[in-house]
Amino acid sequence: MARLDIIHLTKQFGNVLAVNDAGFTVQDSEFMCILGPSGCGKSTLLRMIAGFEAPTSGDMQIDGESVTALPPNKRPTAMVFQKYTLWPHMTVYENIAFGLGLRGLSRAVIDQKVHDSLALVSLSGYETRYPAQLSGGQQQRVALARAIVLEPKILLLDEPFSSLDAILRVRLREELKRIQRRLKITAIFVTHDQEEALSLADRIAVMSGGQIEQIDHPSTIYANPQTLFVADFIGAMNLLKASAQDGVLRLGGKQLTAPNGIQSSDKITIALRPEDLMIVPDGTPDAWKAQVDQVMDLGHYRKILVDVPDVGELKVYVTKSMTVNEGDRVSLLPIRYLIYQNDAAPIEVNRPAAALT
Amino acid sequence: MTSAQPPVSNDFWRTTRRSFTAMIRRDGFGLLALVVLALVILGPLYSVVLWAFAERWRYPSLIPTEFGFKFWEQTFSRADIAAALPFSIVLSLVVTALSALICLPASYAFARMRFRGRQALLLSFLATNAFPRFGLYISIAVIFFRLNLIGTVPGVIMIQLVNTLLLMIWIPTAAFQGIDRSLEEAALDVGASPLRVFIQITLPMVMPALSAALLLTFVNTFYEAQGALLIGLPRIVTMPVLMYSLINSQLVTQYGAIVSFVLWLPSLLLLLVAQKLLRGGYLTAGFGV
Repeated sequence: MARLDIIHLTKQFGNVLAVNDAGFTVQDSEFMCILGPSGCGKSTLLRMIAGFEAPTSGDMQIDGESVTALPPNKRPTAMVFQKYTLWPHMTVYENIAFGLGLRGLSRAVIDQKVHDSLALVSLSGYETRYPAQLSGGQQQRVALARAIVLEPKILLLDEPFSSLDAILRVRLREELKRIQRRLKITAIFVTHDQEEALSLADRIAVMSGGQIEQIDHPSTIYANPQTLFVADFIGAMNLLKASAQDGVLRLGGKQLTAPNGIQSSDKITIALRPEDLMIVPDGTPDAWKAQVDQVMDLGHYRKILVDVPDVGELKVYVTKSMTVNEGDRVSLLPIRYLIYQNDAAPIEVNRPAAALT
Repeated sequence: MTSAQPPVSNDFWRTTRRSFTAMIRRDGFGLLALVVLALVILGPLYSVVLWAFAERWRYPSLIPTEFGFKFWEQTFSRADIAAALPFSIVLSLVVTALSALICLPASYAFARMRFRGRQALLLSFLATNAFPRFGLYISIAVIFFRLNLIGTVPGVIMIQLVNTLLLMIWIPTAAFQGIDRSLEEAALDVGASPLRVFIQITLPMVMPALSAALLLTFVNTFYEAQGALLIGLPRIVTMPVLMYSLINSQLVTQYGAIVSFVLWLPSLLLLLVAQKLLRGGYLTAGFGV
């Protein structure tokens, strides 16, 4: 419904920079997730967009118009909170109709809108219930209906499903995605749950320590984390200390293919996804010898922990068709990894397909 | 057709008996506590009610030998009672209203604002209850005497206000503090102005506690005797003050009994009305039950 521009937005609490110079644009009908560990400033950022916190500096614009000076009740945003925030003394109908009534709509129009919004969140017929008579999942659905019934330009969601159990969380997530697609509403969703972010978002903004580390499509974030923090935070990752000298990359006595342009340094980190370590036949050139310490069956795949001499313990994902037992000796070949050096963007290394055969 | 139906009443008694014995077995101590509590609370009331309707009750009979309303007529034909009853009711209403006017904004401030000395101020309201009241009243009476407030209505109102402060500040403060701020933020978020949020969201949610505070304040004021006695006499006589003098200086026991019985009624009525007006469980919630 609308575009949101965040421009050099900063929020300082005392000496703490909760949000440090955030700047990005959320496009019309885009679903943006702000992902980060607790205390990273993601909620503060969302609360500034809603108007509950005043920024220390910077600007927020919706469709090109600044909303920074507007109080929350004058902003074209609507929020779904982390806690259950239905008003306990009002029925479901009254909760949803409250905001509509403030807009001076006629009784018939309000009736219709409340009815439609309840149908949208699959809670038709619950109009006369009180919040205390609803389950947690139902309460959050009503809260969602209460927000979208106002047809806000931007829908804000502050970890709305975090207090629900895992199964319900996944179901509501799918439902939210469907509703967002249908209404083509611009949405910003704050979460610390990467699975939630990866499955919901058109784009993810990863935050850490008040700083936005990277904004990208979920697949890009996963495949090409631009900082070490993102590499460590998103998905499972093996982070290994390495050094480079005269164009040769060394990792605990092993030599790795180094791309051009690598500088001599002993502060290099190699990021290696568990699925990018292949078990190969013994004798394959450049393969690492390892011993399997632990095998964990995770349904459709197995996670194994292997000990590589001089390198340490690594996580490896293998398919179920492959028989691996604890104590086995295997050969591993890294087929793709990222090299991080001096806070610069990582260098990606893909082993040529020929090396695998 | 009727013969096919099971004997309902028989069944009812059987299940009642069964659940009763089950209750004793499950929670014998609870039942014992209930009986003791009932005796301690209802026993004195029972005696007062009997005396109020007794025309003749002499040792050693356990209950009065003659019941009647003779003493009721006598009691209510007394000029002092006819004057004191309406005065007491109006006085209690005025004190409750004034107390609410002063204390409710204060309790909102205590709950929502962080200022220097907040904790100390809040605790200071306990002070009036922490020491023997009478000492406090005497020293206040000395000041009131100089200000010519002894024996005046404003004087009595002021001394009774002192008594109401603790309840009227502490209960609403706790209630305002108990409200999740995000409920108010949610209302702001859908477009309500701060004033509307207060009236339509905050106030209804603290209403149970506020009602409890108002009710307790009214009842406490209505029964307050020490302060009213010390500051009000000789010109101002409230019902409890009158009851004291009737009990202490009259040979007729029934006067005192009838007056105490009558003194019950307002609080009983108020409680019943409150229970009717407020939704089920609303009032008890206010008392923290």
